Amino acid sequence: MTLANRTWANKTGPTALTVARNRAAVMAELRRLMPGMGEERKALPFGLGTIDSHLPDGGLTCGALHEVVPQAESCIAAAFGFIAAILGRLTCPLVFVMPAHGLRPYRPHGRLHGHGLNALGLDPGHLILVETAHRKETLWAMEEAVRSAAPAAVVGVIDTLDLKLSQRLHLAATEAGLPLFLLRPAPPSPPSPASGGRWGGGSAAATRWRIGTAKAARDRFGLVTQPRWHLQLERCRNGRPGEWLVEYDHVAHRFSLAAALADFSRARGAGEESIKQAS
Amino acid sequence: MNAAAEVSGLATGDLLADARAKAEFLQVRDADPAADDAALRRLALWATRYTPTASPLCRDLWNEANGADGFFLDIAGAAHLFGGEEKLLADLATKLQKNFGLPARLAVADTPGAAWALSRFHKTPAFVLPSGQEAAALAPLPIAALRLAPDTRATLRRLGFKTVGSLLDKPRAPFAARFPTELLRRVDQALGRIDEPLVPIVAPPVYHSLRYLIEPIFTHDAIIAHANRLMATLIHVLTRDDVGARGLRLCLYNVDGAVETIDIGLTLPTRSVAHVARLIELKLEALAATYDAGFGFEAIGLAVTCAEPMPARQTELTSVTDDGDRTERCASLIDALRQRLGPNSVRRFEPVASHLPERAEMLPPLDGEAPAWPEPEQRPRPLLLLPHAEPAEDVTALVPDGPPRRFSWRGVTYDITGAQGPERIGAEWWRHPLPTLPRKRGREREGATRDYYLVEDASGHRFWLFREGLYGRETTQAQWFVHGLFA
Repeated sequence: MTLANRTWANKTGPTALTVARNRAAVMAELRRLMPGMGEERKALPFGLGTIDSHLPDGGLTCGALHEVVPQAESCIAAAFGFIAAILGRLTCPLVFVMPAHGLRPYRPHGRLHGHGLNALGLDPGHLILVETAHRKETLWAMEEAVRSAAPAAVVGVIDTLDLKLSQRLHLAATEAGLPLFLLRPAPPSPPSPASGGRWGGGSAAATRWRIGTAKAARDRFGLVTQPRWHLQLERCRNGRPGEWLVEYDHVAHRFSLAAALADFSRARGAGEESIKQAS
Repeated sequence: MNAAAEVSGLATGDLLADARAKAEFLQVRDADPAADDAALRRLALWATRYTPTASPLCRDLWNEANGADGFFLDIAGAAHLFGGEEKLLADLATKLQKNFGLPARLAVADTPGAAWALSRFHKTPAFVLPSGQEAAALAPLPIAALRLAPDTRATLRRLGFKTVGSLLDKPRAPFAARFPTELLRRVDQALGRIDEPLVPIVAPPVYHSLRYLIEPIFTHDAIIAHANRLMATLIHVLTRDDVGARGLRLCLYNVDGAVETIDIGLTLPTRSVAHVARLIELKLEALAATYDAGFGFEAIGLAVTCAEPMPARQTELTSVTDDGDRTERCASLIDALRQRLGPNSVRRFEPVASHLPERAEMLPPLDGEAPAWPEPEQRPRPLLLLPHAEPAEDVTALVPDGPPRRFSWRGVTYDITGAQGPERIGAEWWRHPLPTLPRKRGREREGATRDYYLVEDASGHRFWLFREGLYGRETTQAQWFVHGLFA
């Protein structure tokens, strides 16, 4: 109301000074109305300039919803691995909300293995595993965990997500300042150019990652040393999408670009512009 | 036998035909001891409104030898709440008559033995024995008042002992020599010379708070509001004793005599009213499908069943870390999740010293400190482990005990470009003495040696495969299984 009044009052004689003053007032008002706009937000950086420069806060924003999608059913372990790799650095308790039946409609993929998490550099002792019977419980448990602001991060496994639901979860994450990772199955059909490259309904998530498998890094004896994943930042609010092939060092908790073919987008020539902007 | 039966002249041991002849309106039902027990248990639970300690007559069960017809209430320290022992007995008798239609025989005495004897053999139905007069009060009662086995009773009767009094003034030594220890033990118990511990049907709470309601309540909101007030009264005692509640029990006394109990376990001791209220709310929501308010609840009790020291914590003015705060928040989160999703839904990984991957960890319900995990091993371990190894079909390998070159699993064929292994994991022979158990189709065999390989296909899928059985020694045709997926 005050904003409107001011604008109306100044309509009669707009001088350069009043216009400037008005703009400043409007901007201040907008800043006030949009929480978290001006202030510095915490983020989980990848430690990799190429990826971090694509993200608005120089890393995965803490108070936000992040979607992780496996490229295909067979890539589900890679998707879990990617989440574990991001959270490996955090030492506080982490909450994993897993439905007892796994990720539908995929076939049962087993359960997380403590020694496997340990091998990826995530201490399994920090993990609080919440097992739910159905979707409603999963959603409730996730929201409860996020709103309590007790864990350092919350990970949920869920079969479907719609706009309203994602808005609700995103809001909860923003209020608590916690990163909330949602692992969901890939939609059945790839995006078509007609729909503007978008698929699977809207979502309020800050980022959506599509994780694919890639051949692991091996030492000269042919032993697997570091897992590699094909990351695709499919959408990113206030950022730019991108595509990378990364490997993960579980000892140093560090991502690095895979040596041979560092950037898929450059190779394809599709995202050349964005790379120029970044550098 | 009740009064009506005695009036019509029935006696224990009558034949059915005789009994029918004496009382023509007699209806006959088979005895159902289990149902009697359950009913008596319900009644004892109902009676916990007078005192938290209600106990069956013998250990944890009602049986024939005990008469299977009553229970003890330990009203020490509770009687004054009802205006004295007489008033408590009167109130109990009225309520039993009014609510259940039960004519009751009640007695108050210093020892359970004396109370048992007086309630059954004293002429007044509700008798209060002044302290220290057990011997005098028991003397005129028959021998049966001592809760003795039928054999002992019969022997005593044959020897001419008719009343308790005739036993009491005799020297003890001959009785000790001739009778089972039971006799003197029962006498001593009745007179208070030795202790007779009562085993309560529900663990007696450490702190207890109970509220009678003028109007019965039905709704969740009302229950939570009253529970809030009860917790607020408990807070004072908890603070005074420097403890916090780790276990709570909410008892809802239904108008029709049933008692709903809701047990709540907490991860950390707490004194927070809001936290407890929230847990109760979640529990009620989870129970909403099964529980039934019936005619409403006329009384509500909140008890602390488990209290733990909760020293005061100083909050730092310039707090650098909020670790203590976070632990507390975590505990309350876990409590909330447990109330809604069930006590076993919140788990934590715990390492187990075993080489077999499926045994190498446990997922127990979360409790206490986080277990310490060892440094990660150099050997590869998968991120996702299948609950049961699944058979891999059409496996081709260059040499019989070499890594596979191709396999299919769940209908997809994978061409392997890189393999690492084998890592041989032997069976735990101390668990499975028989390595040649009959196998289930498509299941891994318990007790066979496994050779694990990490294999990778052309598009980067990494699997954990094993070949079961040693060629020549354990099997002639090895079978392959997929056991896990690597990130």
